[in-house]
Amino acid sequence: MLSVKGFTLSSTDKTLIRDLSFDIADGQVLSIMGPSGIGKSSLLHFLSGTLSHSLTATGEAFLNDDALHTKPTEARKVGLLQQMPLLFPHMSIIENLLFAIPADVTKETRRELIRNALEKLGMSDKANAMPKELSGGQQARVALLRTLLAKPDYLLLDEPFSKLDPALRRDVRAFVLAEIRQANIPALLVTHDSEDAKAMAGKCLEIDAAK
Amino acid sequence: MPLKHTQWITALIAVLLTLPVIIGLIGTLLPAFQFFPPLGEYQFSTAPWRNVFAQGEFYSSLKLTLITGIGGPLLSLWLALSLLAWGYERPFFRKIETLLSPILAVPHAAIAIGLLFLLSPSGWLVRIFSPWLTGFDRPPNWITVQDPFGLSLIFALIIKEMPYLLFVMLAAMKSIKARENIQACQALGYSRFTLWRKVLIPQLYPIIRLPIFIVVAFSLTVVDLALVIGPNTPSTLAVTLYRWFNDPDLSMRFMASAGATFLMVTIVLVLGGWEIAHRAFSAFTRCERSDGKRKGITDILLGAGVVFGLVTLLNAFAALALLPIWSLAKRWRFPDALPSTWTWDNIERATPLLIELTSNTLLIAFSATLIACAASLFMLETKRQSMAKSNKASQQHAFDWLIYVPILLPQIGFLFGLHVLLIYLNLNGSICAIIALHLMYVLPYVYLTLKGPYLAYNENYLLQANRLNNRPWRHYFIIKIAMLKPALFTAFAMGFSVSIAQYLPTLIAGEGRHSTLTTEAIAQAASGDRKQVGSMALLQALFPVIVFWLAQIIPTRWTKWRLAMKNFFQKG
Repeated sequence: MLSVKGFTLSSTDKTLIRDLSFDIADGQVLSIMGPSGIGKSSLLHFLSGTLSHSLTATGEAFLNDDALHTKPTEARKVGLLQQMPLLFPHMSIIENLLFAIPADVTKETRRELIRNALEKLGMSDKANAMPKELSGGQQARVALLRTLLAKPDYLLLDEPFSKLDPALRRDVRAFVLAEIRQANIPALLVTHDSEDAKAMAGKCLEIDAAK
Repeated sequence: MPLKHTQWITALIAVLLTLPVIIGLIGTLLPAFQFFPPLGEYQFSTAPWRNVFAQGEFYSSLKLTLITGIGGPLLSLWLALSLLAWGYERPFFRKIETLLSPILAVPHAAIAIGLLFLLSPSGWLVRIFSPWLTGFDRPPNWITVQDPFGLSLIFALIIKEMPYLLFVMLAAMKSIKARENIQACQALGYSRFTLWRKVLIPQLYPIIRLPIFIVVAFSLTVVDLALVIGPNTPSTLAVTLYRWFNDPDLSMRFMASAGATFLMVTIVLVLGGWEIAHRAFSAFTRCERSDGKRKGITDILLGAGVVFGLVTLLNAFAALALLPIWSLAKRWRFPDALPSTWTWDNIERATPLLIELTSNTLLIAFSATLIACAASLFMLETKRQSMAKSNKASQQHAFDWLIYVPILLPQIGFLFGLHVLLIYLNLNGSICAIIALHLMYVLPYVYLTLKGPYLAYNENYLLQANRLNNRPWRHYFIIKIAMLKPALFTAFAMGFSVSIAQYLPTLIAGEGRHSTLTTEAIAQAASGDRKQVGSMALLQALFPVIVFWLAQIIPTRWTKWRLAMKNFFQKG
């Protein structure tokens, strides 16, 4: 379970978010909606430990009662999915996926994991393709599976569907939700599209400009 | 790069960049006032200056330097602007653009030697018109190359500088929204040359001011080109100083140092005058720009520039084409346009020498360029981190102007001063000293080529990689560097070609003990054995072109080849 308590975000001249608290159970997706510039992405940066120096955040974050906010980003085991799929353009699909698997996994297990991943993607024939040969929807799915293969403890989604064709979005959303449930980790989605929030079948928090 | 203590690294590199230049300048300035402990002179005096000003040769050399050093860049600028105005965004111009890069890559000594073969009285130009038009069956008694007015030197300078300026201008066109400007003016009925004159050139000039200044400083102080194709007795000031510095009579050094100081002052004055002239010119033409005339008589100026520009390019390629012809010629009597018999003997005879020269050249070029690439990555990473910290997109970093110092200062001005330091360090004549001096000139070009792509890199790729599994150093190389391959290869090729072309740094640091293709080709250019000089100049021109070509094709195919190899070994 991922818990945030009393999160407050301020820039140099004003407070953006005040006293935000929530819990997300394993396998559940919490959606956070709000206008742009309100500090939604900064909440994700706070949780992943990469908040920009120009902003100050207070509050606590816990993963199964283990404090997150005191750890450096590399010790947090966080998965982050952004608008851009960020597949490494100089590596084939299979290399991109293998990249994420922790080094201590044995060779057979690695092969097994990759075969499963490619099957789920329906792309067993494209293992050696380059990222630019895939469609936007396929890239988004590969990016999600790559993130999950790294076995993160929690997942942060920063408008991962906004660059996709509207027709593709429904499929990709369903794919993402199914994978999160199977991985059974808490996930936080930040979006400005209420369809995204609905499709995630979880709670939805709307934040307005702090007074 | 997960670097720590970036401020210390910045300070260290800044010191390493400036220290040699400062020491070199001091090593020139002090002897200019008669202070030179190695020769037992501890008294300041203005005697060196009085000696310089008493030399008649000094004044005639200075005159030549001013003629060639101002004339070359001015004509280059005119021709480059004309060609750009004529061809920009036209389909056939793309082909001319691709022709520029070999000329940019080839060391200027090789081009100068090619020009010698082309323009001398027994050169190819006279040959193709003889005897049917000129009636000559032996070379005429003209002075064409190394003429006393420096015209052939100006021509050689134009051949080297016009393509460079054109290249710089093409890169700058995007930032002034040239296409939109052209369309707007054409809709108003302005002719092509007029709209360039009135609208685009005034916007373009401020952006390319620094490259123009580099070209002017280079023209005023170039030694190797002037040695090959420039006038002698009197020669340009830089060559005269070079002779004085190398005089067996060590007391000539004082006069040479004073002269070198004077040359540096001259550069400052010329650049100042250039800037004032530009301001006066643009104030003078200001009202003409808005007089509403869609065509103008001065358009002819640009039209003529196009013709001369194309002729110049043609000459450059003819000059390069003559290098292999001479190195393969067996019998080539005067009026024949081509050799009557061909042979590999010239090259075979020169092979032991060529192998030695080539291995020296490549060793120096590869070492200097690899070090420069590593240093540039360090510098750019510290710059990126300080930019990320301050959250400002266009923060001026110390490196951004320090890097220009070695390019703008004349080599003749501080290299001899630096040589004194090398002697103190007991490094004089060693190959390490040559590499270090080359590095001073290679680093700026590598840094400037790499800067744009490196800072534009989307850091999110690297962050994502480290989130997936945290190995910052490894990922810096296999993700960031791997994605920046095209830029790195281009920067390498750039640095490589700069190193190959170095003449003075090689000679001064190596004290003539380590010859390269460039130093040997220039030393023998005047000797007259065209077959051997042709082979050296050919190799000298060939390596940069090959490296540039490889830098184009390797990065785009790298991943394909890597995957193909991986599949091959997995199956096999």
